[in-house]
Amino acid sequence: MIHRNMQIALTVILAVFAPWLAPAAAPPQEARLRVTPETVNMGAFYGGASVRVEGVTGPDEKVIIVVRGGNVTEVFNKVGRVGPIWVNTGKVTISGVPSLLLVFSSEPLGACLTRAAIDQYGLDLPALKKQMRIESKTPDYGRIADEYFLYKTKQGSYHLVNGGIRMNQPDKDGLPYTLEFVLPKSAPPGQYKISVLECRGGEVIQSSDVPIKAVEVGFPGLVAWLATQRPSSYGIVSVVVAMLAGFGIDFIAARLFKRKSVGH
Amino acid sequence: MVGAGAMVGFLSGLFGVSGGFLLTPVLMMLGIPPTVAAASDSCQIIAGSSSGTAAHFRLGNVDVRLGTVLVLGGLAGAWIGVHVIKILRALGSADLAITLTYVVMLGLIGGYMFAESLRNLRRGALVPKSHRPTRDESFFSKLPFQMDFPRSQVRHSVLIPFFLCGIVGILAAIMGVGGGFIMLPMMVYLLRMPMHVAVGTSLFQILFTCAGVTYMQATTNHTVDLVLALLLAAGSTIGVQVGAQVGRRLRGDELKILLASVVLVVMVKMAAGLLLTPGIHLTPLKGH
Repeated sequence: MIHRNMQIALTVILAVFAPWLAPAAAPPQEARLRVTPETVNMGAFYGGASVRVEGVTGPDEKVIIVVRGGNVTEVFNKVGRVGPIWVNTGKVTISGVPSLLLVFSSEPLGACLTRAAIDQYGLDLPALKKQMRIESKTPDYGRIADEYFLYKTKQGSYHLVNGGIRMNQPDKDGLPYTLEFVLPKSAPPGQYKISVLECRGGEVIQSSDVPIKAVEVGFPGLVAWLATQRPSSYGIVSVVVAMLAGFGIDFIAARLFKRKSVGH
Repeated sequence: MVGAGAMVGFLSGLFGVSGGFLLTPVLMMLGIPPTVAAASDSCQIIAGSSSGTAAHFRLGNVDVRLGTVLVLGGLAGAWIGVHVIKILRALGSADLAITLTYVVMLGLIGGYMFAESLRNLRRGALVPKSHRPTRDESFFSKLPFQMDFPRSQVRHSVLIPFFLCGIVGILAAIMGVGGGFIMLPMMVYLLRMPMHVAVGTSLFQILFTCAGVTYMQATTNHTVDLVLALLLAAGSTIGVQVGAQVGRRLRGDELKILLASVVLVVMVKMAAGLLLTPGIHLTPLKGH
């Protein structure tokens, strides 16, 4: 009986003090990884937006941060020489690749991950080449892929760099890191995923994802919505707004010149 | 974009031209797809021409009757031009067509202006010749649907302005220009209109033709960028005032030869784009 009472008392004590006695739980993902801002507003004078990623990793871990857009299918004209001039000689459809891919790492990619892991996560151009699908009448797929990467890199949509992540002094929570990057102007409105890959021994030991949204706001947002959803209204609005702008300019110019002549 | 508009506005003010034929190539050089550049330029021209039309209307320089015939011809041409672009886009050749049209037109206009200005500078100002009816004019007078245009003090078959402006409408849709640089000489030399009425009526025609082109491009090809057009219009308004001030200090033939040089430089740059090996052999289909 005494033994049973002791068991009940012990259970109650354990239940009361459990939160203090339990081993420290892993901090929630939100606490380990912070992205600011979570929504990028694309206004009239939008020219790309600065985004900051902050987090904490283990002292022996390397970090790779990937900003990725959804997979897209894009159609291109292939340019070739006909006589003395360069003209479009056919269409090329490319799919299976992300619309946006920005890769940053705390150390060179090869020092963080094995080739197989890089391929699995699609982190460099050879890895993307394996994922992409090309439809073309001519079989020069390798050259088309290289041209595509060149196009996306020039456009700012693909940015694959060794480095970019700043590793700070370790503290009691681990090794803090910071990345500041620019979401390029070429990135269309939509949802993007920021993935933090924590690596050790050439493998990804933990990954965390945070979504980031880019939305058109204000006048450009309204214009984009009208242009795609209501083309007829958009046509009328374009004409009326341009006319009003013209008459407004005429009104202001007439007043300015009048004032000038009065002054003289 | 405001800077590009201001630069072209400066040239417009300096040389007294609408600048549409310079703005589209400049936008193309800045990386805007030719179809978007041409359509947005049309939209931007509405702002400039509505301001000009209002001013000329107050002065009684707009021949509304002749202008209406021109607008109808221009809209018919614009409809053809917009659908030509639609077909060319589907074939992936719209950019090439626009660039080639520009190279040819700028080459012809720039070359002619340069040669004429050089001749005038060497010989001095030309003495105006007395006008005698030509074989073309007697042919035009035999055409049906003759109509009086009292404001312009001329009588013509409506077919002549209709078809002339139809051609300008096609060019307006393909090149994104108002067409004043083609229409004005035709109105003065072919339709024998007084200069001040030709300018006012040309602006009236440009306003409505470009309004039609903008609407059709927005609904058919989805290539009008209103934000871009307004930025260009804002820059152009500032630039045109500065250009007009600078232009007053230069002689007519000096201005002409300068404009011809600018036109030829733009033409050479565009021709080089067609002849030199491109950096990337893929161009996105969107915007073509």
